[in-house]
Amino acid sequence: MRARALALTLLTPLILSAGLGSASLNAAPGQQTVSMSRQGAAPGLTPSPSNPALPVPTESRRLALETAGAFINDGFHVRDGEWSVRLEKGAPAFLQVTLFEGNKYWFVVASTTPGVRLRVTLHDAAGKPLSGEVWHDERATGGSRAAAGVAPGRSGKYFVGVELLDSPSGAPVDTCLVSAYK
Amino acid sequence: MSTGRTFAILALFSSCCHVATAPASGPAAMSPGQQQEAVFLDALSIPSPGEVFAAMNRACRPNWATLVTPATAPVTTDRTQLALAVGVLSANGYTAIDAQDGQQVKNVGREIMNVAKALGVSQSLLGRGNSLIEFADNNAWDALADELEATENEVKLTMVEQKDRDLVTLTSAAAWLRGLDVASGIVLANEDLKGASLLRQPELARHLASRLRELPPRIQRGSLVSGVGRSLESIAAILEIPDPAKEQDRENLQKIHEAAASIVKEILTSASAAAPAAAPSPSSSPKP
Repeated sequence: MRARALALTLLTPLILSAGLGSASLNAAPGQQTVSMSRQGAAPGLTPSPSNPALPVPTESRRLALETAGAFINDGFHVRDGEWSVRLEKGAPAFLQVTLFEGNKYWFVVASTTPGVRLRVTLHDAAGKPLSGEVWHDERATGGSRAAAGVAPGRSGKYFVGVELLDSPSGAPVDTCLVSAYK
Repeated sequence: MSTGRTFAILALFSSCCHVATAPASGPAAMSPGQQQEAVFLDALSIPSPGEVFAAMNRACRPNWATLVTPATAPVTTDRTQLALAVGVLSANGYTAIDAQDGQQVKNVGREIMNVAKALGVSQSLLGRGNSLIEFADNNAWDALADELEATENEVKLTMVEQKDRDLVTLTSAAAWLRGLDVASGIVLANEDLKGASLLRQPELARHLASRLRELPPRIQRGSLVSGVGRSLESIAAILEIPDPAKEQDRENLQKIHEAAASIVKEILTSASAAAPAAAPSPSSSPKP
């Protein structure tokens, strides 16, 4: 049941983009202001029209932020940072993070390459895999996404892994990871 | 309408989503090499003050209003001090947001803009400053937290664009130290030291200290940067003490708090008023 609720949360952007829901779907007071004030930018996305020197967000980042943005309705903050990484099948990549007991986290990876299977994994400071909630969506026509959520039992160092499980062409894929906490 | 929407959600759920408690073949444990080669990114690997404060909120429900401090950037032309000040001010902004003190958030935003102007990166930030004011006027606290992190990151990005990549490390370290200053003060204010476990991040303190050691000599030459490095080293040493007894824990936290508060004060002290950097106090060395 909880997994279904998470799936529904993650699907919110799809529903909105498909025109099946209104912009105020599940929106708490103040959250509507965020997207309106950012002129439609995905939450956490930081377009900088006044500073063209800054990097232009990639499509993978846009997709990851769009997916993670669904968590805002559940009180999550999407961090204004990204990890862009090229993945090859069989060669997972890892990011060191610091997580806090009491907080909840979701890590979302996305690639605009359709049909690839991505996976996000979480590991403790010793590298041991953690059990948590996982989500993936490799059938989307616009790209592939995966996410993992965790509520750490203790504060400290952890690792987030991203992995290319399958790629129809066998070629490496560019991905982007973002995170959200509450 | 509601029924239709629910149906649409369920239809999408069943057609394109896969949720499981574990994937078909579980992830393997990381090898020592993978752990060593794991990427460390300022923007994601270092927790934002907002993240720390969110955990503090759950642990001990602090009275944020009593923790808000006036936002005053130092008057200086030293770019390293200005970069450090951005980090401190940003953390102050999170405190003001948690206190829901709109005026103070605006003051912080204004001071960050002033520092950015002194650093020569203000042009790109005008929009951010206006957004901070707009969100503060509308009591949009969640949006403010996001905007504050985005503002800090945009200052950092512009530093990189201006070939000042090394300053980014200083901003990150200062934000973490100010967050630690505030959080350790909160923990010490309660008898049971609730939230103390949230502060035990020795690896992060060590990592930041080592990053400072790797900075070019021209940046490390400043006494303030050296002081920040020494503070991080002494804090890391205290945090590495395993399982201290409660009284020892309180004493250690007090030392951490003093070390963090002292260096934050130095960072915000204007050049004309600055005294030479103090040597590390003997009381800041950890007791096993």
